[in-house]
Amino acid sequence: MDIFSGLILGFSTATTASNFLYCFLGVLLGTAVGVLPGLGPIATISMLLPFTFGLPVDTALIMLAGIFYGSQYGGSTTAILMNLPGEASSVVTTLDGHEMAKQGKAGRALAAAAIGSFFAGTVGTLFIAISAPLLASFALTFGPAEYFSLIVLGLITSMVLASGSLLTAFGMALLGIILGMIGTDINSGAARYTFGSPNLLDGLDFVVVATGIFGLGDVLANLENERGRVAGVAAVSSLFPTREDWGRMFAPILRGTGLGVLLGVLPGAGVLLASFSAYALEKKVSRRPEEFGKGAIEGVAAPEAANNAAAQTCFIPMLTLGLPGTATMALMIGALVVQGVQPGPEILSQQPALFWGLVVSMWLGNLMLLFLNLPLVGMWAKLISVPYHFLFPVICVFIAIGVYSINNNVFDVYLMALFGVLGYFFKKLGAEPAPLILAMILGPMAEEYLRRTLLISHGDATVFLTSPLSLGTLVVAGLLLLSIVSPRFRRVREEGLQEAD
Amino acid sequence: MKLSQDVLLGLFFTVIGAVSALIATHYPFGTSSRMGPGYFPIIVSGLLVVTGLLVLLRARLASSEPLPVIGWKPLVIVPAAIVIFGLVIEPLGLPLAVLLLTILSATTSVKFRLDWRAFAGSLVFAAFCSVLFVELLGLPVPIVGNWLQAVGSY
Repeated sequence: MDIFSGLILGFSTATTASNFLYCFLGVLLGTAVGVLPGLGPIATISMLLPFTFGLPVDTALIMLAGIFYGSQYGGSTTAILMNLPGEASSVVTTLDGHEMAKQGKAGRALAAAAIGSFFAGTVGTLFIAISAPLLASFALTFGPAEYFSLIVLGLITSMVLASGSLLTAFGMALLGIILGMIGTDINSGAARYTFGSPNLLDGLDFVVVATGIFGLGDVLANLENERGRVAGVAAVSSLFPTREDWGRMFAPILRGTGLGVLLGVLPGAGVLLASFSAYALEKKVSRRPEEFGKGAIEGVAAPEAANNAAAQTCFIPMLTLGLPGTATMALMIGALVVQGVQPGPEILSQQPALFWGLVVSMWLGNLMLLFLNLPLVGMWAKLISVPYHFLFPVICVFIAIGVYSINNNVFDVYLMALFGVLGYFFKKLGAEPAPLILAMILGPMAEEYLRRTLLISHGDATVFLTSPLSLGTLVVAGLLLLSIVSPRFRRVREEGLQEAD
Repeated sequence: MKLSQDVLLGLFFTVIGAVSALIATHYPFGTSSRMGPGYFPIIVSGLLVVTGLLVLLRARLASSEPLPVIGWKPLVIVPAAIVIFGLVIEPLGLPLAVLLLTILSATTSVKFRLDWRAFAGSLVFAAFCSVLFVELLGLPVPIVGNWLQAVGSY
């Protein structure tokens, strides 16, 4: 199927009344929950997951994608108005975005973010439409060795981009792999780490763990500094960028989009990397680098464009290889599996309506965001200022119901409580959970691909180095590891990541 | 050695790694060309033990961040409230479970006062959740739990 007939199929799928409606609902709910301070995309998606359960697969996926964009965009609104980044990738948005808000230019900062995001979203969607079919057919030629190396690259990228030390991140990833091994071993049928409990035979539900660590863990951490929470929300006045703003943000949006599209495909943590590098790039090429950090509109437009472009293109490894690039994508895979869909290269040939419907609704979702967010910004600002002591019991209830409804099993609720406590301690111990989450879903895949590789090669591990693609991937992974030793990269990493906490 | 972030984290990694390696020794290890169910767990757990020991060593060599203050009250009450939610959702039904979870978790806030407003608010919220999740979204959660049904049938 060529791209045009694909897109037409996609349009006919995405614009059926119910799919369109659920896309809209997803974007609206995603933004509404995403603007709430302290709720990143992972917590937002897991809270809103039950809303997709009764739906047909394509509608559910479209709505999930809508929730994902909405929560991303809601996160930047909170970052600009309140100086509270919902997740690491919107940290850079706070630097200039909140500075602009303090100068009374909140509306223009929000508009710059919205326009940048929309443009980037459009380009990102086109990029998916063009490259995903190519990559998917290419991916069908991948053997287990290539897959294993790609997984290693993904895990290493997520470790390098985690805040805190590399050693800690490595430990967290290993811990995630062990958690992923709980349950029945698909190859031998042996029950591993189940402690005799039938509830563990199917393994830990990934959504339950992510909800516990990110949803409940964040609540527990936020409750601690409840008194210290700043409740100042900047007022929003004029939403229209001035002629000068347009001139200043045009090129940065283009550059940010380019960077984001390319980096988003990288397994690991492309979205985060995209927004940081876009900001760094703008600061470098700008004629007014001294304005950065003091409310430069370029510093909002470029990272937001990069952020959103990467958020689109990070669907590519997930849809074509079945490998999640970020913790959020891992959660999306978890949600798809709940729906009975196994992402991978076959998805495009076996369920073309699902794939193209998703691609088109991504673009529609971005369009809706543009028209939804700017007019409704007053409402979002009100939502942001809801005091936390009203908010957190509601969050607890929603995540508890959400987790229970995945399997209608109270065991998942207890598990979520346990992982909430663990998530809190990880935060206290300076250990970022993102590598753990990613490793939990990638670990079992890594084991399976390793097993197949070694079975084919009769136990000879050098195949990882003799396959050119696998070798190339491992070299990139090695370079990434080496780069962290370089003092210059180290400094940038520390500067960029420490504020993410 | 003083308790610091790294000491605790190192201990945590080492203990989890050691326990999981110990359990994995009961699974057939296999050979490299035919990995048994114990092959991968032993390697990963072994690496985790080494990582844990390295983190401990790092704590020994350089002073790591001291342990931050732990807010025990929310840390105990909120997860306990969620466990209680799990315990009562099937026997008592969704509205009562929501009501309990809302009020119990809210008590951890410094701003919480148990007055009629808090109670009325959680009552409305419990009703809202029941309508939203059970009536509108059709989740198979009981509104009236099986204990209450049993009581009602007498």
